[in-house]
Amino acid sequence: MPASPISDAAPPELPRRRSPWRSLLLVAAVLGPGFVTASAGNDVGGIATYSQAGAQFGYSIIWVLVPLAVALIVVQEMSMRMGAVTGKGLAALVRENFGVRISVLSMFVLFLINTLITSTEFAGIAAASEIFGISRYIAVPVALVVVFFFVLRFNNKIVERVFVTASLIYVTYIVSAILAKPDWHQVLHGTFVPTFEWHTAGWLAMVVGIIGTTISPYMQFFLQSAVVEKGSKPEDLPLARADVINGSILAIALAGFMIIASAATIWVTNQHGGHLNPQQAADFAVTLRPIAGQFAELIFAFGILNAGLFTATVLPLSTSYIVCEALGFEAAVDRKFSEAPVFFVLFAAGLIVGAAFVLTPHLPLLQMILFAQVLQGILLPAELVLMLIIINRKSVMGGHTNSPLANTIAWTTAIVIGLLSLVYVVGQFIPQLLGA
Amino acid sequence: MAFTEGFISELVGRKATVNEIPIGRVSDFLVNKPDDVFPRIDGLVIKTSQGLRFAPIDTVATIDPDGKTVALTMTPKEPAPPEESALFLIADLLDKQIVDVDGRKVVRINDLEIARAGDGLRVVAADVGVAGLLRRLGLKSFGKRFVPGIYRSIPRSMIAWDSVAPIRDANPTQVNLSVTESKLSRMHPSELAEIISDLSAREAAAVVSQLDDETAADAFEHLEPEKQRSLIEDIGTERAADIIEEMDADDAADLLAELDEEQQHELLSEMNEYTASELRALVKYAEDSAGGLMTTDYTWIYPHRTAEATIRKIREIAPTSEFIYYLYVVDKEDTLLGALSLRALLLADPAESIDTIMETDLVAIHPDMSSEDVAATIARYDLLAVPVVDQAGKMLGIVTVDDAIDAIMPEDMARKLPKFTARHRSHRVNAGIAN
Repeated sequence: MPASPISDAAPPELPRRRSPWRSLLLVAAVLGPGFVTASAGNDVGGIATYSQAGAQFGYSIIWVLVPLAVALIVVQEMSMRMGAVTGKGLAALVRENFGVRISVLSMFVLFLINTLITSTEFAGIAAASEIFGISRYIAVPVALVVVFFFVLRFNNKIVERVFVTASLIYVTYIVSAILAKPDWHQVLHGTFVPTFEWHTAGWLAMVVGIIGTTISPYMQFFLQSAVVEKGSKPEDLPLARADVINGSILAIALAGFMIIASAATIWVTNQHGGHLNPQQAADFAVTLRPIAGQFAELIFAFGILNAGLFTATVLPLSTSYIVCEALGFEAAVDRKFSEAPVFFVLFAAGLIVGAAFVLTPHLPLLQMILFAQVLQGILLPAELVLMLIIINRKSVMGGHTNSPLANTIAWTTAIVIGLLSLVYVVGQFIPQLLGA
Repeated sequence: MAFTEGFISELVGRKATVNEIPIGRVSDFLVNKPDDVFPRIDGLVIKTSQGLRFAPIDTVATIDPDGKTVALTMTPKEPAPPEESALFLIADLLDKQIVDVDGRKVVRINDLEIARAGDGLRVVAADVGVAGLLRRLGLKSFGKRFVPGIYRSIPRSMIAWDSVAPIRDANPTQVNLSVTESKLSRMHPSELAEIISDLSAREAAAVVSQLDDETAADAFEHLEPEKQRSLIEDIGTERAADIIEEMDADDAADLLAELDEEQQHELLSEMNEYTASELRALVKYAEDSAGGLMTTDYTWIYPHRTAEATIRKIREIAPTSEFIYYLYVVDKEDTLLGALSLRALLLADPAESIDTIMETDLVAIHPDMSSEDVAATIARYDLLAVPVVDQAGKMLGIVTVDDAIDAIMPEDMARKLPKFTARHRSHRVNAGIAN
């Protein structure tokens, strides 16, 4: 076997450390899109939004999840298909199809919204630590250090463990929802008979928030990158498609149980003359009482802490990788600062700004968390339109462009969510305008 | 004054005129021979109200350097189908990923610099920095006027075109023959491997398709098993077999051992019989045993030759051998009789016969020895390599000191070794080749 004699002189090569971004994507790809969706949807913002929805509107808001499940499946299938057919991430496709302007704009918005969501994760960490009696001014800086450490020593094992711990916490919601003995007749009615409460304060915001936290815009970027990292090909589409459907249904079911758990405890109590008025994340620990009794608060705090720490790690990391991918900057944690300055600045900025937000005194954390989810819902239509344009280009997708059915559902989703967001935003401003 | 140099972002979208009558806007640039060192622009694509039109470069009369127009001498024609190798700068290169061969990283083209050189306008560099982004965003003049300090401090990240290797969406199962002298092969194999690890599966396959078998094999040796596996799937059995054939025997065997039996069989059946049987033998051994570590690529000599004749022979085979510092003396049945170092051979009387100068008191090991024991043996006797023999004393292969160290070094420690050392050394090695 010929080999150049010079190669003897070359230094013995060491196995290169897999980057945290790659490990993350690979674990996600192996666990399947279901886990990605469930974990992205059920972060601190997700738990807060679903719990708040159940507390305020009871079982009657569950039906929103049904059309949302269809939309989630279609959107995720599109992401998966784009990844498998093109072998490129969504950020790269946006850049190559729409050029610099749209790309920079969408990356800018993605960075802003993800930083805001990161700060909601820190808000969750703060809330959880206060349940344990630790001041947020200690807990959040400590969490910040933990996250930095986490990223530097990232490996597949840790990622997997956290994923699994997270899913265990979600199971407690299912059990809790059942033990709370909800009125199943009302649950079924609320699931399959749509009711519109346009005039109830906060209903529309809640719907947009549920949409935003369930189909988070960043999730599409993440999922597609995971598919690319796994090296899926068009031949793998049928299998991956089944995976997407299962995963989406799982994520939606979890969301449903969170709403039920919260409705069966907080909302029902209030219906019977109680006065539970959750003002802080910790107040939602009640929803876990049926399963955990007096330990409900601890389990709740632990769940939030786990979700918060994990997402606070994943989000700034994914965001800086995705932005660098789109804009063509070097991105790698194991590089020196001077080799990948943009990457490190983005990563550190996302984390530190996110954490600093939470440490600003007198910030209404719960409102802020819900606001972030609503913002996601408002931005989602724009992302869907970009995806739809790309996925219908023959030059990009070859024979795998959208079917008429997928197009109909996805466009309907984009338009309906767009209209809802528009109505919501206009509704926010018009009373003020009239008042002035 | 004619246009002498600038960026394509400043030309695209300009009005195209014939006899001062506007007929459309510049939308793209055709390059027929993109593999030239600095490829020449052969024509402009003009977007007119009737559709796309093509203006050969010799019909371009003047390009207003600071203005907004491109004057043509004649009305552009219907576009002819481009040559197969042809590239469109905007459609095929702008915003796409490239490998920066000198900087050894994957970056995205924000803008292209073109300049008048010799017989025409040529692509001279890729702008991959923030400055290029701002220019594309139309913020250049804004930046210059309002924040000149910051604007000036933005680093100009230009990559000369001779170190740019575009990542094309080529069919990865075929070697692209037009790029036999790929710029990528200028990189050190370990750096090439690093680039390949950084790319998505599809892009990695596209990069491998631009490499000749030997370069690809060198890069493969430095890849993680997982990446090797996925690449083999992407480039197809036939091409993968060609590449594995060129790899060092021990690395090739390690790679094969990672695959399932069916895939192993397919790959081996594509190789020439000699290599295949050699690899089949190596794959059997456990990865952490002497058999798994050994390579069959050792240098053997016959005992009855003179030192002079042996030196001549070595000179012939050395360029294709992995390890020539120890020469193993074997008989016709491959039984290990003795060994001598290259140094001993060079210092020997040219007329002397090998069997009189060879060392016969040898340390040899069996293939089932654990890698720790192999490393300990090599360390105890200060060897560069140790021969592996079967029960009958038949030579099977050798384990070299670097493979033994790799096998026993804890992965953690390997990671902690400063990477820059490896980089500096590889530069020196490259320089050695160039000189």
